Amino acid sequence: MKIRSRSVACLTRGQLIPAAIAAVFLTVCTACSNTPETGSIPAQSDILVAAASDLRFAFTEVGERFTESTGQEVVFTFGSSGQLREQVINGAPFDVFASANEQFVQDVIAAERGWQDTSRHYASGRIVLRARDGLAMPNALSDLVRPNFARIAIANPAHAPYGIAAKEALESAGVFASVKDKLIFGENVSDTLRLVETGNVDVAIVALSLVINDQKPYVLVDENLHTPLRQTLVVTRTGKNEEGARRFVEFLLNPEIAQLMETYGFVVPIGEES
Amino acid sequence: MLTDWFPLWMTLRVAAAATLIASVCGIALAYVLAKSSFRGRSVVEAVVTLPIVIPPTVMGYFLLTSLGANSTIGRAWENITGSAIVFTPTAAVIAATVAALPFVVRASRAAIEEVDERAEAVMRVAGHPEWKVALLVTLPLARRGIVAGVALAGARALGEFGATVMIAGNIPGRTQTLPIAVYDSVQAGNISDARNGSLLLAVIAVCALMTMTFLSRRKS
Repeated sequence: MKIRSRSVACLTRGQLIPAAIAAVFLTVCTACSNTPETGSIPAQSDILVAAASDLRFAFTEVGERFTESTGQEVVFTFGSSGQLREQVINGAPFDVFASANEQFVQDVIAAERGWQDTSRHYASGRIVLRARDGLAMPNALSDLVRPNFARIAIANPAHAPYGIAAKEALESAGVFASVKDKLIFGENVSDTLRLVETGNVDVAIVALSLVINDQKPYVLVDENLHTPLRQTLVVTRTGKNEEGARRFVEFLLNPEIAQLMETYGFVVPIGEES
Repeated sequence: MLTDWFPLWMTLRVAAAATLIASVCGIALAYVLAKSSFRGRSVVEAVVTLPIVIPPTVMGYFLLTSLGANSTIGRAWENITGSAIVFTPTAAVIAATVAALPFVVRASRAAIEEVDERAEAVMRVAGHPEWKVALLVTLPLARRGIVAGVALAGARALGEFGATVMIAGNIPGRTQTLPIAVYDSVQAGNISDARNGSLLLAVIAVCALMTMTFLSRRKS
């Protein structure tokens, strides 16, 4: 008898634990489905923009202005243009793809993921040198061979346009071979800035747009040393809000916003198609 | 403390769904692996265990190529539902489930194999069908191992990052889970959000592990 009662107890306990786990799951699921006001669950009419990470500060402000004037929200995903290109080609539901170069937009159009007629060169970027706090700024790329710049960060040139530009500039300046072993790759250009801001590298080559407004010194790299960063965008065919996307692109290209982009260090093309 | 609570809810929902799916499939699979000996059993076992040993990025790559918009499954899904499977919350659940599954399978299988065969034999002799033996004797007796596996799976699902960022992306308010939000905050230089998100994840993980210890220490 004793044995049986024990085994019955153990059976109940055995059922109790899965039941408790199931109850927790159900509570969590119900709690979640009943709380649409938590966080910022985007409405269907929101515009999803995949943007190169050099645009992080500029586009955040452009997005706020757009929402003020149209009432429509813009949700940004920032990353390296190459990674975002892969996501768009693989069907990510972005409405706009704003690359830091021209090539990746052409790739998206070639993969039939972007509307060719919407492709626009919206800004040109510049690269700059930024040293970590407490270290004297290099005057030019050629200074990077010095031993006090032991670690140099650039964005990953495999998929980040600002990394490609940085690598080309180092090559044109004739120092790439001697600094090659000191290079550390950031995931994208804002990650590269983080590496130097946190003092984990001595110097980084980053986008002007990310440092122009932070009151700390930087040195512009001669733009003739690399292929121009012709930042190009396209309305994608994978998104759900093509109309909103076209409106956002139109808004970005208007003169007032062009001026705003210039305050972030971009050179904005005027009266130029595509 | 967090400027946006969506990533936390997203993480809890994804982890709950993934743990649930991984538990149901994993326990069933563990039972089959423990009780039967078929050709290729070790192959199935190796494939199931793979997500523990391969880098999450490799898993993400496999998932992206097999479920992406240019894959057979991805296209079929798009034809049926009208939208891609990748870069949706569903994709995040798939990534977390695949990552969590091996923990359930390995722990449950070991626990099921440890169950005293005489207890099962008693039920069989009494004429009960095999599914009843499994549900009323084998699984309840193996429950401690199973619970440990489920708890580990839940913890793994909560923290899944590599494959998730590749197949679900980093879309704020849509697919951005807490681990991805932490990564994004760090990249944006938003250190306070990164710190708070990290602390929150650590607290959740510690609570989950303490619950697990509590459950597995309880004497029957």
